[in-house]
Amino acid sequence: MTLAVEQLTKQFGGLMALSNVNFIVNPGQIVGVIGPNGAGKTTLFNLITGVLPPSSGKILYDNRSLIGLKPHKITELGIARTFQNIRLFGHLTALDNVLVGAHCRTKSGLWEGIWHTRTQQQEEKITRDKARELLALVGISEEESSLAAALPYGKQRRLEIARALASKPNLLLLDEPAAGMNESETDDLQLLIKKIQELGTAIILIEHDMGLVMNICNKLVVLNFGRKIAEGVPQMIQNDPAVIEAYLGKEEE
Amino acid sequence: METLLNPYYLQLIMFIIINAILGISIYLTLATGQLSLGNAGFMSIGAYVSALLTLKTGVPLYVAVPLGGVAACLMAAVIGIPTTRLRGIYLAIATLGFGEVVRVIILNLTITNGALGLSGIPSMSIMISKNLTALGLAAGIGGINVKQLGTISVILILAGILGLLVFFALRLSTSRLGRAFAAIKADEHAAEISGINTRYYKLLAFFMGAFVAGIAGGLAAHITFYIGPKDFAYHRAVEILLFAVLGGSDVVWGPLLGSIILTSLPEVLRFASEYREMIYGGILVTMMAFRPQGLISEETLRFWRKKLTSRPTTSKPGEIPRRTAK
Repeated sequence: MTLAVEQLTKQFGGLMALSNVNFIVNPGQIVGVIGPNGAGKTTLFNLITGVLPPSSGKILYDNRSLIGLKPHKITELGIARTFQNIRLFGHLTALDNVLVGAHCRTKSGLWEGIWHTRTQQQEEKITRDKARELLALVGISEEESSLAAALPYGKQRRLEIARALASKPNLLLLDEPAAGMNESETDDLQLLIKKIQELGTAIILIEHDMGLVMNICNKLVVLNFGRKIAEGVPQMIQNDPAVIEAYLGKEEE
Repeated sequence: METLLNPYYLQLIMFIIINAILGISIYLTLATGQLSLGNAGFMSIGAYVSALLTLKTGVPLYVAVPLGGVAACLMAAVIGIPTTRLRGIYLAIATLGFGEVVRVIILNLTITNGALGLSGIPSMSIMISKNLTALGLAAGIGGINVKQLGTISVILILAGILGLLVFFALRLSTSRLGRAFAAIKADEHAAEISGINTRYYKLLAFFMGAFVAGIAGGLAAHITFYIGPKDFAYHRAVEILLFAVLGGSDVVWGPLLGSIILTSLPEVLRFASEYREMIYGGILVTMMAFRPQGLISEETLRFWRKKLTSRPTTSKPGEIPRRTAK
């Protein structure tokens, strides 16, 4: 399995943001994490990516514990993420944003950068070509040299995914990628996520757009008040009374 | 010719170059978004170490100056490892405090000669003049006497160092490292998540800034014959920061332009020399209000590049502009 979360707990003072959450992500799977606002979804991402230390519990990636590792180390191991509120490097070009994403997969240091050694030039060329491929994959090749901040919202979302993919992740964490998108944009996003899955990347998806979640997820994990209240294939979750009550609302009499 | 080679002008040029080097030092630290006011402190360490080495142990100049830079770098490790955890204004305050601590220590040590400062520091121009005399150029060349020749050689050496540093900064900004710096400056958290070891690169930038400031200090010491703790007080730290505020810190040309303007301005406005600090304050306020990005930003460069490249492309329609080429 790619990722195993065991008895994961995070406490902020008196607030249990996550308590004893367990689930696993298998290679190439898309796992949706859903739940009402404040259920602990983003906290879960912050724990996996090392932004916050868990209060207790285990996070295993390829049977290796991630606890105590710095976020950049975790990215290097193969876990990339996007943010709920887009966090691009605004005054860098789209291409440069992706190149930054490739940072941990490239090596040239100060010396090579200053003297433009042959290895540096080769590396730079390969990295640029790959970055352009990623921009093409997410469909923003045309905007290669525009500043990230100047891109329209939907394209910024795509660029952030391209930047995350540049670190060649085995596991991609998407935090509400469809937020603020219209229906056709969401459809495009769905295709993109499918494409990424076909490239062999496992995905954990936090999303409120139920249509998207039900369509593409292999498995859903439902959180409410920091607890996992259900887990299973989308069809099963749709009919789970606990989920309906907590998240989708009680059916009218 | 005689007026151009006036020692006063020559010295002004030297000061401009020294300040331009300091401008690069602040550019390097600011490249990762670290607002450091410690560069005056690093400069003083470079100056004192280099001056003391030449005065007390007779180490040659070309060894002493780099050693001053190394000493500043070592101090940067001591101060930088705890302070790079700080951000924005907190880092500014911590580094400002550091600068003051260095100044007070220098003021109280016997080896640094306290408030009196060090005088009789071996001068670069005199050393070069002597060597030139030894080479049989005592009479000078073409009406330029040997003293002036010495000074001109120093200016050329300084310009060479500056040129090297500009080259370094330009290459850096377009390299993998430069992109990491820019990413950290834009959004440190996102940079860390994107796989950049932010702590390492912030320290690296801090070290590079300290090293360059130390070199500038060493060079300054061997130009002015005299250094004292007053030269590196609080106003110096602010002055260095002002180079970047006025010129802009996006591209290396910004602090460079800022340092040239701010060094020559007091000389041009001789009559207003008493109001120097007031003018600085005024510039700071005006810039923050009307052009917070500084005189030269990346956009300025892009604008001029477009303007300058648009003409050749219209005259040669077959040529595709590089930027849009695929």
